[in-house]
Amino acid sequence: MDSFELICPAGNPAALRAAVDSGADAVYLGFRDATNARNFPGLNFSRDDLAAGLAYAHARKVEVYVAINTYPQAGNPEPWRRAVDDAARLGADAVILADLGLLDHAARHHPELRLHLSVQASAANAEAIRLYRDAFGVRRVVLPRVLTVPEIARLNAETDVETEVFVFGGLCPMAEGRCSLSSYATGLSPNKQGVCSPASHVRYEPRDGALASRLGDFTINLFAEGEPAGYPTLCKGRFVAGGGAGYLFEEPTSLNAMELLPDLKKAGVRALKIEGRQRSKAYIAAVVGAYRAALDAFAAGRPVPRPDLDAMVEGGAQTTGAYTRAWR
Amino acid sequence: MTSPAASPHLTLGPVLFNWPAERWRDFYARIADEAAVDTVILGEIVCFKRAPFIADALEESVARLLAAGKEVWLASPILVGGDRERAAMRDLVADAPLTVEANDMGALALLDGRRHAVGPFINLYNEATLAWLAGRGAVSVSLPAELPAASVAALAGAGRELGVEVEVQVFGRAPLAISARCYHARAHGLHKDGCQFVCGNDSNGLAVETLDGQSFLTVNGTQTLSHGYLCLTAELERLAAMGVGRFRLSPHDTDMVRVIDAFRGVLDGQRDGADAAAEIRALVDAPVANGFFHDTVGASYVTGAAV
Amino acid sequence: MNDPTFTTDGRSMDGQVAEDRLRRIEAGMTRLGLGLAHRLGGNRLGREAEGVLFDRLMRSLAERHPRAFAALAELPEARLLIDPQDAPAALMLRVGPSLSLRLCERNEPAEAAVRSPCARLLDLFEGRIDGDALFFRRELVIEGDTALILALRNTLDGEEIDLFAAAAGMAGPLGRALPPARRAAGRLLGLMDGVHRALPEPLERGLAALERRLSGRLSGRLGGA
Repeated sequence: MDSFELICPAGNPAALRAAVDSGADAVYLGFRDATNARNFPGLNFSRDDLAAGLAYAHARKVEVYVAINTYPQAGNPEPWRRAVDDAARLGADAVILADLGLLDHAARHHPELRLHLSVQASAANAEAIRLYRDAFGVRRVVLPRVLTVPEIARLNAETDVETEVFVFGGLCPMAEGRCSLSSYATGLSPNKQGVCSPASHVRYEPRDGALASRLGDFTINLFAEGEPAGYPTLCKGRFVAGGGAGYLFEEPTSLNAMELLPDLKKAGVRALKIEGRQRSKAYIAAVVGAYRAALDAFAAGRPVPRPDLDAMVEGGAQTTGAYTRAWR
Repeated sequence: MTSPAASPHLTLGPVLFNWPAERWRDFYARIADEAAVDTVILGEIVCFKRAPFIADALEESVARLLAAGKEVWLASPILVGGDRERAAMRDLVADAPLTVEANDMGALALLDGRRHAVGPFINLYNEATLAWLAGRGAVSVSLPAELPAASVAALAGAGRELGVEVEVQVFGRAPLAISARCYHARAHGLHKDGCQFVCGNDSNGLAVETLDGQSFLTVNGTQTLSHGYLCLTAELERLAAMGVGRFRLSPHDTDMVRVIDAFRGVLDGQRDGADAAAEIRALVDAPVANGFFHDTVGASYVTGAAV
Repeated sequence: MNDPTFTTDGRSMDGQVAEDRLRRIEAGMTRLGLGLAHRLGGNRLGREAEGVLFDRLMRSLAERHPRAFAALAELPEARLLIDPQDAPAALMLRVGPSLSLRLCERNEPAEAAVRSPCARLLDLFEGRIDGDALFFRRELVIEGDTALILALRNTLDGEEIDLFAAAAGMAGPLGRALPPARRAAGRLLGLMDGVHRALPEPLERGLAALERRLSGRLSGRLGGA
């Protein structure tokens, strides 16, 4: 039985080296523009950075995937096509795409380039996945965080496309790539600009010892003194609905599916993905190292160590998220 | 008003809320008898658990709308992950004697080679995607609500060349997100599996406010909508000039016939868009919004930039 | 960075303890340095000297981290206040084409501010700690332009920065003074720690005063060398 592949994020060259050195099987990254879904200030890779990162990773037998997973703007397809062309030219091991038109471009112009379907395409059923395989030759699909483990198992039984699932990090409670909450509040969205609840629209306001986090014109949360805080990602905020105030969509928790390794293995999952291209290299090293140790122990049939990653996660709390039915 | 190739077409999207079967039936009866819409799209697309309640009313309403001369389409669910959702999707596509509007890539896969429509929940952002969809038999596409004017214009132009009709939502709360989790149940301290169908209490969705008491969003089961109602009466002329020939209204619990008449009046050149917007404002329980179209905060309403 | 491990009682410490110790020493030295520079800034000559020192530090950092400095220079003109809350003064970083670092008062106006204890900011600056994690724990205060702070954080995190190595790499007196000062400070603070633990509280207060005087000597050496 093949062991899981560990797919790790990198927001910059130092994070890539940290991921490679900490035991990643593959690193995923994006270019410094709106072609990827972590288009944050100061983050991501130039073409030269990618070339250097590929050399560093390949010398250590680690693969590099380039995420080009936003939706090309009408009338302006060039930045996205160039991103695919450059990733292919520089020798990326795969590109992670979401847009149908861009998949079509990649399949036509780079038949040898491995295509992965981004979580932003939100392919949640076997019919959809087979369509991406048949139409574009997609070899792997990153599953949206809406499926339970039994649903993932049935899906794997029905298709021969490899599946990759998120096991750690920020958790979208909404189906990815189908969410316009951010653009409703700020005008900027994951699909169009590659940002969600962008920092350019975030303000923190002290209020009598409490801390209010605001996104555009909307208060997303209010933290009492000493209470763990969160970034004002819209869906992780506290709101009032039906009379009560609380975390309507999702608590400020972080996904950690380490305890589900045996179930995910039985479900036929090929690769496990860590979220966090926007996080620091300290986070990457800690989380990738912990998962490497866990996967090695799991593969060897040893008890899986449970490292303390609480300090790394929002709200200091972890969840298995949509993988278990109770989440719904 | 620049006259587009065909006469402007009004589409009534599917009811997104959990209305009792009686209300549902009455609503479509009135649409059949009184509303100046050309196409009516039916189906429960938010939550498969609601579908059985309207099954009988659906059949009856389709017949009545067809008899009234409306074009009737059936819509596929937005999120199809579980077995029951997949079965419902397959049944819909296999049995449908009518045109199906695909709202998920799975439905699109099953509709290969058949005449079909692409709904606003398929991610369509650019010409290359539109061309790919057209190549698979799409005759009409309804654009995602967050697309700005420049994208709409580019896609309308591409649609003309490809022979695909392009539609824009011009009225109703904007669909913003879909989830496997039910927020209506969660707001009531319930779980999706034992939801007691609490979404049925809110015929226009459950209001979501910020901690400062500011109106913000609307929860409709697993779906999240805007609080503000999209209202593009003032932009209709510009949309038509771009080559957009279809305009979608999303049903709400208000006098939809009056809403439809207001849009029809503007499209026919009989009334002013800003004046119609004022009438719409009085008909809905929330502010109106057009920020997405103007490439800014979706919740905002931009005036004076319409032409 | 792995400087020689310091010893307090002849036995060598394990790596982690040594590492923690080094952090505290560096934080202490940074506070001292800021205090000294703050006093320097009292007159015009002093302000010029301070400007020269910080410009040298920035040049040294820029030589070591060209990628990050090019990125900071490309940002739109803005001021970021960096406030080590337990130090006598704060720093003002100007990003954009005229990139500079200067000492300032902690209430000076800026487009954005980050406030945290000195040791935390050093960890953050050198990428040893996750800024988000710090913020989640409310150990980091963020004010103003969040995007500017994020841009700086992301840019610095892309580097493997060693602030003290950069300072030691400066031309001039500070570059020569820093490495011995760091070793001296290590021994001194280590000694202090051992003594603190052994003493009852009133004596400890007296010792704190002694420590302050010793610190003064140390900073005197730093400035005077």
